[in-house]
Amino acid sequence: MEAPPRPSSLAAITIRRSIVVGVRYLAIGLFLSVVLTALLLRQARAFEATFPLELPLFAILGSTGGLVLFGNDRAKGVFEYLLAYGVRPRRLFANALLASAVLASIVLATAVAVGIGGFVAGGGHLDVNLVTALVLYSVPMTVASALFAAMVSMIWTAVSSPRAGLGGPAGLAPTLGIGPTILVLVAAETAPRSDYYVITVGAAATILAVVLVLAAASGRLLSRERLLSPM
Amino acid sequence: MVPGAPASPLDPRPAPAGAEAAVPGIVVRDLASGYLGKRVLEGVSFSVTEPAIYVVLGQNGAGKTTLFRTLAGILVPYAGTVEIAGRSIDEPSTRDRLHFLSHIDGIPDGLRVDEALRFYASVQHAGRDDVERVLRLLEIDGLRHRYFAELSQGQKKRVSIARIFLQERDIYLLDEPTSNLDPKVAAEIRDLVLGLSRKKVVLYSSHNLFEAREIGEYVLALKDGRLFLFDRIRDLRPSRYVVGLRVSPGGSALPALEKRGEYYLQELSGPEEVPRLLQELLAKGVRLREVREMGNPLEELFA
Repeated sequence: MEAPPRPSSLAAITIRRSIVVGVRYLAIGLFLSVVLTALLLRQARAFEATFPLELPLFAILGSTGGLVLFGNDRAKGVFEYLLAYGVRPRRLFANALLASAVLASIVLATAVAVGIGGFVAGGGHLDVNLVTALVLYSVPMTVASALFAAMVSMIWTAVSSPRAGLGGPAGLAPTLGIGPTILVLVAAETAPRSDYYVITVGAAATILAVVLVLAAASGRLLSRERLLSPM
Repeated sequence: MVPGAPASPLDPRPAPAGAEAAVPGIVVRDLASGYLGKRVLEGVSFSVTEPAIYVVLGQNGAGKTTLFRTLAGILVPYAGTVEIAGRSIDEPSTRDRLHFLSHIDGIPDGLRVDEALRFYASVQHAGRDDVERVLRLLEIDGLRHRYFAELSQGQKKRVSIARIFLQERDIYLLDEPTSNLDPKVAAEIRDLVLGLSRKKVVLYSSHNLFEAREIGEYVLALKDGRLFLFDRIRDLRPSRYVVGLRVSPGGSALPALEKRGEYYLQELSGPEEVPRLLQELLAKGVRLREVREMGNPLEELFA
């Protein structure tokens, strides 16, 4: 007799379903990031200066599936059943955040692999500035912004009636993620050069902290009826 | 009176110590619940411990779905308590004692039938063999590779109800399981629920009064968020007891009676008068083809 699945499999299922539901966002994020990366690779200096900056934008777009799944599950009454079977509201938010992070990471990892692979294959030399920018700006800002967009949009989804299209949370989520990314970039560019990565890493850490606080408090801040289908 | 229940079902006493495990049931005390601070249920108390189908009736907005959601632990009560098998509904282990079926399908987007059941099997900590068993039990094995969104209403309801058979539990909360179904599928689902009720406590809400009378042992009637009746259905007496008499041609004429369709209507004081009426009519040479109760006592709960 087959052993029952492990309890943690709900998170794995959520990730897999978010890929299926958000496949169009994922495809667009991957396509745009790879195309832009390919274009940048034509000029080494442009690549080194711009490549780390463009990565979070498309990764955030690609991560929208986590939010779409959250909105769909709420509207379809899936949460109602999960709550009845003992799944806590906080876990619903946490699973969607995890799915968003995985989706963003897929776009990020693919773009980095294509970009760095193409750069090295084209005779480019990986200098410390490029690696530092990837590690201290691209990666933290991608994760922080994707999670911020997902968290804020999930709360918005939970407190509002279902709205489809560009005017709804799913339509505006990428903007919510890209907004902080641009603001951090502007702040870092206008600050002294020595503070550049202090600002980017600090901002990413602050955004992540806000997301974690919101996620931890979501179960208490939002009453359970917010997670029920409005139908 | 409900066997095993307190003297008054509207004023439940705590279950005796040690009895909870032997007779898993639901004890609700002075429950208030609702949505976003707005109370839908108020002062609801009852206790059910006997394996049977308890039909929950009430007009739209009476609080049926709110009651089911609160008993399932989905909504947190504003006041009062809910105990499942002697434990508070707040305790996570209590959820393993019950199944909940909403009037909403709750099947996740983008999944095929077998994937959807595996999803819920995972949530319930059931195995894949349980999914296979349920696919056969509900006769949906042939649909296993179809996307849920592509199914007909009846097929969707079968898949939706299948999840409550993935694991055996003590209490089943079924909120309008046969709504929007054709009579054939509704009858099949009623048969499945009837099979459950031999060993389980089943709370079943419906707008179909004939269905409620057909399968229910007890009725809980809600009005404006309050429980105003909890009784055995067969003990309910309508204010007017009317039988319909259908006769074959060729016999003696019936006395002048009001007629509805093919039925002559005769008001009696109660069902105990039916044998006397039949004897009188047969003695007069009336060729009776059918005698049936024309009213449903449950109808008066909606008056």
